[in-house]
Amino acid sequence: MKHINIGVKVSIRKGVVDMLPLSLAVLPWGILFGSIAVQRGFSWLEAQMFSAIIFGGAVQIVTVELIADNASLVTVLFTAFVISSRHFLYGLFLREKLSPQPLRWRLGLGFLLTDELFALSGHRRAYRGRLRLIYGLAAGGSFYLAWNIWTFVGIVAGAVLPDLTELGLDFAIAATFIALVVPEIKTLATLAAVITAAIFSLLFSLWEFELGLVIAALLAMAAGFTVQQLRRAS
Amino acid sequence: MTLLTILLLACITFGTRYLFLEGLLPVRLGSNIKQFLSYSGPAVLTAITMPILFVHTHQLDTSVSNPYLWGALAAIAAAYKTANIYWTVGLGTLAFAAVSSLHF
Repeated sequence: MKHINIGVKVSIRKGVVDMLPLSLAVLPWGILFGSIAVQRGFSWLEAQMFSAIIFGGAVQIVTVELIADNASLVTVLFTAFVISSRHFLYGLFLREKLSPQPLRWRLGLGFLLTDELFALSGHRRAYRGRLRLIYGLAAGGSFYLAWNIWTFVGIVAGAVLPDLTELGLDFAIAATFIALVVPEIKTLATLAAVITAAIFSLLFSLWEFELGLVIAALLAMAAGFTVQQLRRAS
Repeated sequence: MTLLTILLLACITFGTRYLFLEGLLPVRLGSNIKQFLSYSGPAVLTAITMPILFVHTHQLDTSVSNPYLWGALAAIAAAYKTANIYWTVGLGTLAFAAVSSLHF
């Protein structure tokens, strides 16, 4: 019994630590969101509810502006849907691993399935067994807590804090994702996917195309798949 | 009214995250789709990373004075050599901070 508890503790600690660079990296954005929401006339409670139940950085920052500008409800919801559409990919990718799990795990991990948790879900054996589920819950849960704390700081102190988004903390996101992607490049097909994603994400980002991330990812996956098929055929 | 909008937005973020985790959803993934999806990790993470590195204030920045470039090169080298997340983030951040502090 004792070593099981140790396993749980280790899984929790590893989940929190692996997520830590990402939890810290979103500090400027959490503060930015909290402060925009209050400036644009939302109550403290409403602003905190965005982070507590919507829990999506880009969706929150974009929709809070739209609502404040009196955009129609349809526009607000449609925009949120477009930004959230990448989540379908995450669900599909994790479907085999998570769909056989009990409802409470699916609901909990599903709620926490941000870009950041998806990034830590790439392991071949991710979510296999209780300890790996606990690892995911600790990673996702600690990120949720961090995002809500940063939001709260933005709500109460956003007006007196400088804009921290130019500080470069987002580099930690890039470095973490590099750490996860580079060791995965073992085949020509994966390399093709990475290069395709790199080119199209830059193009779409410069065009400020909202669906850019999803489309770049789909093109990259198609490139990887095609190269794999060609190599298998030859 | 605002409260209702917040609730509907929460339904959208949660719904898009949860949908395919539901086993009752009649979706069967064939082997081709699974192969296709196996590239989603590198594809999505690269697509998030590149604009962080090279698009600043809506403009492409590939100059040698861009600290993100040097941080990324150090991180790629560290990831390639160690395949360890802590070394990669640590060395990448060090290079990023060093070049940032030079203030080109």
